[in-house]
Amino acid sequence: MRYGHTEGHTDVCFDGTGSCIVTCGSDGDVRIWENLDDDDPKSINVGEKAYSFALKNGRLITAVSNNTVQIHTFPEGAPDGILTRFTTNANHVIFNSDGTKIAAGSSDFMVKVVEVADSSKQKTFRGHDAPVLSLSFDPRDVYLASASCDGSVRVWKIADRTCTTSWPLLQKCNDVINAKSICRLGWQPGSGKLLAVPVDKVVKLYRRETWDRKLDLSDPFITQPLNVVAWSPCGQYLAAGSVGGNIVVWNVETQECIERMKHEKNYTVCGLAWHPKHRQIAYTDTEGNLGLLENIGDGKKPNDKVASTVTKDYNDLFDGDDDDYLNGDMVEPQSSPKAGADEDDGDDDDLRPTSGHPRRAVIDDDDNSLDIGMIKANLNLEKEDGDDDQTSGFPALPLSSTQQPFYDGPMPTPKQKPFQSGSTPVHLMHRFMVWNSVGIIRCYNDEQDNAIDIEFHDTSVHHATHLPNSLNHTMADLSTEAVLLACESTEELASKLQCIHFSSWDANKEWTVDMPKDEDIEAVCLGQGWAACATSALLVRVFTVGGVQKEIFSLPGPVVSMAGHGEQLIVIYHRGTGFDGDQCLGVQLMELGKKKKQILHGDPLSLTKKSYLVWVGFSAEGTPCYVDSEGTVRMLNRGFGNTWIPVCNTREHCKGKSDHYWVVGIHENPQQLRCIPCKGARFPPTLPRPAVAILSFKLPYCQVATEKGQMEEQYWRSIVFHNHVDYLSKNGYEFDENTKNQAVKEQQELLMKLFALSCKLEREFRCVELADLMTQNVVNLAIKYASRSRKLNLAQQLSEMAVEKASELATAPEDEEEEEDFREHLNAGSAREWSRPPVRNVQQDQEMEDADETDGCEEAEETPEVPKQRPNPFSKGVTSAEATTPKSVVIASSSQGRVNPFKVTSNKKDPVVPTANVLDTMSKYSKKTSLSGSRAANKQNHLVIKPLTPKPKSKQASAASFFQTRTPNSSEKTAEEREEKAGNEPHEAKVAAQENTENRRPKTGFQMWLEENRANILTDNPDLNEAEIIKEGMSRFRMLSSEERMAWTEKAKGGALNDLTDDKKRKRSAADEDEAKKNQEQNSEDSNLSKKPKPLDQSTNVRLSAFAFKQS
Amino acid sequence: MEPAEAEFLAEKELVTIVPNFSLDRIHLIGGDLGPFNPGLPVEVPVWLAINLKQRQKCRLIPPEWMDVAKLEEIREQERKEDTFTPMPSPYYMELTKLLLNYASDNIPKADEIRTLVKDTWDTRVAKLRLSADSFVRQQEAHAKLDNLTLMEINTTGTFLTQALDHMYKLRTNLQPGESSHSQDF
Repeated sequence: MRYGHTEGHTDVCFDGTGSCIVTCGSDGDVRIWENLDDDDPKSINVGEKAYSFALKNGRLITAVSNNTVQIHTFPEGAPDGILTRFTTNANHVIFNSDGTKIAAGSSDFMVKVVEVADSSKQKTFRGHDAPVLSLSFDPRDVYLASASCDGSVRVWKIADRTCTTSWPLLQKCNDVINAKSICRLGWQPGSGKLLAVPVDKVVKLYRRETWDRKLDLSDPFITQPLNVVAWSPCGQYLAAGSVGGNIVVWNVETQECIERMKHEKNYTVCGLAWHPKHRQIAYTDTEGNLGLLENIGDGKKPNDKVASTVTKDYNDLFDGDDDDYLNGDMVEPQSSPKAGADEDDGDDDDLRPTSGHPRRAVIDDDDNSLDIGMIKANLNLEKEDGDDDQTSGFPALPLSSTQQPFYDGPMPTPKQKPFQSGSTPVHLMHRFMVWNSVGIIRCYNDEQDNAIDIEFHDTSVHHATHLPNSLNHTMADLSTEAVLLACESTEELASKLQCIHFSSWDANKEWTVDMPKDEDIEAVCLGQGWAACATSALLVRVFTVGGVQKEIFSLPGPVVSMAGHGEQLIVIYHRGTGFDGDQCLGVQLMELGKKKKQILHGDPLSLTKKSYLVWVGFSAEGTPCYVDSEGTVRMLNRGFGNTWIPVCNTREHCKGKSDHYWVVGIHENPQQLRCIPCKGARFPPTLPRPAVAILSFKLPYCQVATEKGQMEEQYWRSIVFHNHVDYLSKNGYEFDENTKNQAVKEQQELLMKLFALSCKLEREFRCVELADLMTQNVVNLAIKYASRSRKLNLAQQLSEMAVEKASELATAPEDEEEEEDFREHLNAGSAREWSRPPVRNVQQDQEMEDADETDGCEEAEETPEVPKQRPNPFSKGVTSAEATTPKSVVIASSSQGRVNPFKVTSNKKDPVVPTANVLDTMSKYSKKTSLSGSRAANKQNHLVIKPLTPKPKSKQASAASFFQTRTPNSSEKTAEEREEKAGNEPHEAKVAAQENTENRRPKTGFQMWLEENRANILTDNPDLNEAEIIKEGMSRFRMLSSEERMAWTEKAKGGALNDLTDDKKRKRSAADEDEAKKNQEQNSEDSNLSKKPKPLDQSTNVRLSAFAFKQS
Repeated sequence: MEPAEAEFLAEKELVTIVPNFSLDRIHLIGGDLGPFNPGLPVEVPVWLAINLKQRQKCRLIPPEWMDVAKLEEIREQERKEDTFTPMPSPYYMELTKLLLNYASDNIPKADEIRTLVKDTWDTRVAKLRLSADSFVRQQEAHAKLDNLTLMEINTTGTFLTQALDHMYKLRTNLQPGESSHSQDF
């Protein structure tokens, strides 16, 4: 029971399929309720006051207070004309069983029967001496029953407008308002054998033709006069509602009462309607409430059985399968297959009435012979009679009248029309033909002018242009190279594709291509160096931007939209027919570059329920995205098997229900969804000029209100929005390394935070799961964290995992490009041991301790001062901060071009240099990420605006230049580098891990010499720092004879090729040589394996100490 | 303070522009600006907005309050109240002048806005004169004026303080025996 209308008379019914409840009330609205809990019913205002309504075949007939009976379409609610008028208002309107006629009874004592298709064909029934209360059509369309305030219930013969019979049953009164009961009477559906009339507290059932009273249905439960009766669609049950709010349901056959219901507030029930399929009754009362009575007859065995067969019967209608119960009934087996056939050729007049009636007749009773006879007679009658109204009525709506009862499954959705992304509807006089990241094309099409305005966001691309639109172009796309326009064909002219290639260097900036006859362009798009159009012949034609015809391929279905970016082309098309408001779309994504390939092979496109596609395109970084009409933005997740991931729901940002965001662009870095807010519309007007707003992305993760959910969302968002980096690098595009490093840092930082959070919550298993996502360095940090928070079990688990990871890394070295190496410097003895494979730990221990005692004590005591003592000018230790400052500035300016001269603090350590270790500078990230993040963003942005150009060689080059800008910073380094070059060692250019690159490079003779003699130098001058050691080493090396030097150089060249066994043999020599060979071996491993796992315990210890330092 | 100085201060106010060029973030002593992406609104100080506008490098988006309906409401409010009503911007007059002078093509109904702001200004200045007058007449020692903008204070500030100084001098020079009403002449 719920509020439905304001107080006053109401009426209710189900729509043809039972999918919704429809009510009308004295507020003049007809409301369509999806169900009883629907808080937002669709309202159709039909007048000031609605007295009664009837619904059939998508037509809604209402009797309203301006004395008319009018039609509206259903469910749209568009007015569809007036059927008839009275001198006062009509009290009741009804449809006949096939929906071709309506009957209305009015307070002016008249009853009219009107053809729905032709309102001029009216029949007026005069005879009542008071306002007409209620009407009921005989299901066979022969008779019409009416009840009036004059106390009489009459049966009229429709054909000759005569009163067949009349019973004085009711109390007389002068107006409807004063009537005790509105006396909604009803014929039994199907055969129409019985007419039920509510009279006081009983329902009187009269037989057809004989018009004698068959029986009375009554119940002690009913204490007040009955107001309405309603037959179940099967004709077996009868429901009656009383003035006192009681509803009673009888089984007519057994006269048994199967359901009693008391209105909770005892309001007068004035509307009753059975669900066409289920055992449900919707009712309304005079206070405007709507209620639903469900599972009628439940708990009573015999009735239950009957009821279930009722439903079976309906199923049988669809599959034509007869069960025993029905076999006794000869009507059904004939009619059901016919009914099926009828759907196919709905024009079949002969079949139609059969299919309309016997459906109900079947269930009627066991008295078949009579029934069939009656129906047949009725059939013939109708046919012979040829009641001109009727026959003429049939062809008018054969389909709807037959489809309605038979097919109520999912309805096919109209296919959405092709569109250009970022355009507003074609019918507008002033519209956007395209709004994308390059510019805006507007089209003006009014009396004086038919023109196209092209405007570029960036005026440096091209100046704004105004073109006459003589060809009546409707589709357009815009890139930084060209403008593509297309028009559909007209009677004389073929469909044309016009390209204004403004970036062309010759004098001809334009070309036009005519499509073959009967082929219309439906969608166009531009990529880099190519243009494409999809046509009505299900073809996609690719052209070069200069106008050369290139590839051509067939689409599996009609195109919906397409978009291009760089080499990529995405085409969305209709894969099939969608049902119930859904679209059935497919997507093809292909690359038209050098190696042409298809990435998405016509996969289904996931759309929100009952939505359609409104935008498709690429992010500025080249990831395909699309938006559906429910505002969900989805992006291709290249990191997860090319699945689509919803990244934003623009509806969440809308204030009003009818507000929308009109998407114009998507950027992954910075994460921006550029769109235009439209108040109360789906698209913006051209004037006033709309302003772009920026929305942020949010993945629909659970519990984002919690810290955990939030971080998880951030983590995965960061992963998703940096997939493009991998894609770009794989495809040889230029991109900013810093972005990637920044992303990895951000992700690892989030993981670490999540780890800490789980640690705090004692979720150790979860901790291990999180650690599994971390890179190895961060795992080490996690181990440290775990051991510090006294979770030794966890730490143990993690170190096992770390070992596993390490071995994984060793087996798959090429997979871990971003895996950072801890070694900061080639010759930095302090960090050397990081690169040792774990198997050698035992051997190393001894000499490692010899080599650098500082690290030894670091290991032992975890003293925070230790990093400071590292004699390494390039280490990230605190002491070296000054040393790195100038270098970092140089690098920044060379790689970035610009830097903030006013920002002093955060430049101390350059964020741009790919840090060796993601997290050992974690404490500084908060400062840095903002600066470098935005800077990287700018960079990226910059890159975005210019089209991406494939530069396969650029990595190498940039690495080299990177390298060179570094060298002048320390003369020692330069010298060393020179040595390297002299030795003709090839640089292994790896941008991702520059430090690694350095480490992996085969050593020069000097370096090898230095390694061997470092200990000597150190013993001589124990307080030298790394730079000084090198300097000292240089001078000593120079003092050697040229032969010796040559020998070293030779050794260095040979060293790279030395195999491991050789190294191992040599290792057992003198103490200081041993170390050198270790390094050598290590280096040969470097060059052979290119990657090696790290010893865990040592690295852990050092990290631990660093961590301890940062904590303090 | 000169009106030009007030205007100078007003130029620090932020307005939104839509640039038609692309530029990284620029780092200035007063803070970072940008990044500038063609077609994307960005907030910049008025001085930069005007500079870019003059070079046809941007389109200006008028401040939210620079709208006929809003200004009409403000004007009515100002006329209705005896005291000063709060203004949408502490530099409303300066901004209106500057933006309408340099970017009137980007501001719809520029002329109406100019009139409305001028009306409001006149009302306020009239109120200010009136209150200064009553302040002097009633020989009050202090008065409180809320919601005055810098430019408005400047219109009377120097004159009023000097005038008060003079009056003070004149009053202190009066003989104690003399009646004050002779001053009325």
